[in-house]
Amino acid sequence: MIEKILIVDDSPVSRKIMKSCIPEDRGYEMFEAGDGQSGIEKYQQLKPDLTFMDLTMPVMDGMQALQQIIKIDPTAVVVVCTADVQMKTIFKVMNLGALMVVRKPVSKQSIEDAIRKAADKLQSIKE
Amino acid sequence: MSNSEMIISNEELDILQEVMNIAFGKASADLAEIIDVYVVLSVPDIKLLKTAEVPGYIEAEINDFENISVIKQNFTGKFHGSALLFFPGGAGKKLFSLFDCDRAEVPESEDLSVVLEKDTLLEVGNILIGASVSKVAELLNDEVSYRPPRIMVERKAGEIVDWDLVEPEGPAILMHTVFSFDERDISGLLFLIPSYKSFEWLKKALHAFLKQYE
Repeated sequence: MIEKILIVDDSPVSRKIMKSCIPEDRGYEMFEAGDGQSGIEKYQQLKPDLTFMDLTMPVMDGMQALQQIIKIDPTAVVVVCTADVQMKTIFKVMNLGALMVVRKPVSKQSIEDAIRKAADKLQSIKE
Repeated sequence: MSNSEMIISNEELDILQEVMNIAFGKASADLAEIIDVYVVLSVPDIKLLKTAEVPGYIEAEINDFENISVIKQNFTGKFHGSALLFFPGGAGKKLFSLFDCDRAEVPESEDLSVVLEKDTLLEVGNILIGASVSKVAELLNDEVSYRPPRIMVERKAGEIVDWDLVEPEGPAILMHTVFSFDERDISGLLFLIPSYKSFEWLKKALHAFLKQYE
């Protein structure tokens, strides 16, 4: 079951859009980080059930942050949100352990699908 | 409120940055689909300058390039302005080999080599500029058309004098990103400079873009 969601994105507008696409009635606790490095710190501190991760960010990009988070917690559920949908990008992030890639601009439907998939993944980890 | 905030607010710049992020991401994906190259993007940068400051700013950004090639293309619509794509000298030859694996060798004939280099840069420019600008237009509910691109190959940075500075004291929004072609040692800088005349529409369109998520 998903309770805590972390959004890692350098753009405040993108974080706002993400939050608006996450269903309000589920009572998720939502947290934000503005770059990969603070994303890792927040991850360690909060242990979110689901992390939405942008790729192109200052300080530390999403690819490196994803790699670090999976190293810290191999069961971390990370969904990459990016406008960069090159096949090699998708291949790389999936290889690093991302659950899936959501294409930007995100929609309520694409975020809903990601949350459902993340919930299934968490359930399978528990079993 | 400062003068620059009267032209475009910080919130509007944030929205524009996200729109650019999506547009540049689309452009790199489109290019990667056509040629076998992995495109790495820098975080898009947005600057609010006086129009007269634009040439100096761009020239400082491309200062590291001894020679440059540049593709310039104007676009018109509610969103209208100019796109400039800069590559360091020799990029056309390197990119040519990516387009045609069967004829990856650059011809020995000097004339043919220049023609192919120009064609290659124009093609890459067409993809990157077209995908970026069209995606911005799509996200902001507009449709743009393009003027024929102009290309200058292997010039010195200071030789790009055709800046079309209609209102030198007017404001300019400069949006740019660096496209690096991974494992190919090539990178290019793409600048989008919307016309001051499209600012009023742009501000409204940016708010409309965000409003659809509220």
